[in-house]
Amino acid sequence: MKALGAFLRKELMEQVRSGRLLILGILFILFGIMNPAVAKLTPRLMEMLADSMTQIGMTVFPVPVTALDAWAQFFKNIPMALIAFVLLESGVFTREYQTGTLVLSLTKGLDRPKVVIAKAAVLLALWTACYWLCAGITWGYSAYYWDNSAARHLVLSTVCWWAFGVWVLALTVLFSVMARANTGVLAGVGGAVLLCVLLGMLPTAGKYLPTRLMDGTALIYGTAEAGAYTAPLLVAAATAAACFAASIPIFNRKQL
Amino acid sequence: MDMLRITGLRKRFGSKEVLRGLDLAVPEHSVFGFLGKNGAGKTTTMKTVLGLLRADGGEIAVNGEKVLYGQTATNRWIGYLPDVPEFYPFMTAAEYLRFCGEISGMAKADIGPRSRELLALVGLQNEKHRIRGYSRGMKQRLGIAQALLNRPKLLICDEPTSALDPVGRKEILDLLLTVREQTTVLFSTHILSDVERICTDVAFLDQGTAKIQGTLNEIRARYRSEEYLVETDSEAGLQALQTAFPALHKIGKNQLSFREKDCPAADVLRFLADQAVPLLRFERAEPSLESLFMEVVEQ
Repeated sequence: MKALGAFLRKELMEQVRSGRLLILGILFILFGIMNPAVAKLTPRLMEMLADSMTQIGMTVFPVPVTALDAWAQFFKNIPMALIAFVLLESGVFTREYQTGTLVLSLTKGLDRPKVVIAKAAVLLALWTACYWLCAGITWGYSAYYWDNSAARHLVLSTVCWWAFGVWVLALTVLFSVMARANTGVLAGVGGAVLLCVLLGMLPTAGKYLPTRLMDGTALIYGTAEAGAYTAPLLVAAATAAACFAASIPIFNRKQL
Repeated sequence: MDMLRITGLRKRFGSKEVLRGLDLAVPEHSVFGFLGKNGAGKTTTMKTVLGLLRADGGEIAVNGEKVLYGQTATNRWIGYLPDVPEFYPFMTAAEYLRFCGEISGMAKADIGPRSRELLALVGLQNEKHRIRGYSRGMKQRLGIAQALLNRPKLLICDEPTSALDPVGRKEILDLLLTVREQTTVLFSTHILSDVERICTDVAFLDQGTAKIQGTLNEIRARYRSEEYLVETDSEAGLQALQTAFPALHKIGKNQLSFREKDCPAADVLRFLADQAVPLLRFERAEPSLESLFMEVVEQ
């Protein structure tokens, strides 16, 4: 336990001192502010453009903006935030393989599973904190300007997207214990998500795949039933757990 | 007792067989020089001992305990210094040693004093900067400190001096000499003068096996090639000697060398006395590690 605690502290210290925590914090706060801001500013922008639009024969009608628009922006922007997160954190294992820093820790008697557990835990905690910070800011502004109750299944839709992020991180950990460089990790994660998206185009498979969880907009607009997300949530949870579990024996056999 | 015992170790990378049944015994409290050309398999052997590489055959025991690949239980006896040690650049030396102490399960009360003691030993006690800005020599010294932290019974150093300038090399060698009272040191190198300076035991690794091994004195005695050197005062004496003993070969002006097995030294001495050849020098040549090394490698 002491060794795990020490490795966890080291991981956190690395996130702080490498500046990654700061970058992620700024990024997710910016996204959180941007979502309601874009929703709030869109009618003004349209108004400003109205004159020139009339000249070319288009009429712009003022559209009432609600919290729904802010949350629609949230689900549109959060994939970018997740991509940035994975890009920044894709080297969390491979950087140690390449520099050889892990060799010294392991030769000091650190158990290999503890390395995987600590790194996965820090990634999950970081994603959870960043994600809910972003969602919380969007919620706060939306509550201030409009009324969040306009969005249906708001909790479920945001939880689904968070769970999708966890699933992606599970893939990141799995590919990190297999690849030697972070390009391999990015290719693996990107490929797996892309495959899922492609398979999702088949109507029967699409209902069960974790990529379905990304469609939070359908939930808040009420065009999808909450029950439709149970299966993809379970599939995501099961595959994420399998990825984490498989990472440990794979890492145990890895030559460093 | 042997602190490290390797029997019949085999390892191949693809089609290249690096270790072909290596046998090695490192006695307790020795400073063991592990010699070999670049690519001879020194690092491979060390990494296998540490359980970082899987052996294709053979057995390794550290302090009598068998080494298993992927498991790190035997590493509690070992301190390891890789050839180019890499530390977390965002930590300071003291923070790194505390981290090492915690992951190796040292008692909390012991970590602080032991870290300070070692930092003083390697001369980094006043270094407050992060490791990011350290020179190679500083990293090597921190490497020794971290390797010695949990008082290992076996200190394994992979070419600790090869990347350093003469001052850095001297510092590291002096450090290794200092710590031999506390631990057994196994270090690989291809710098022969380092071995001659600090080693008690030595093994030559060539073509995947240990060609020669034993204490330095033993090896010197065993391979004392019974080579003699004669230097005469005049050319005439030299020629007389060469005519009488054709096996003598000229190696310089008025200098000859010969091996005992080609012509007995007693015969040569008798001839010199009988003929009253004016003699400047008659000596038995001491084999250098370099000549031994070359001999092993060329075989």
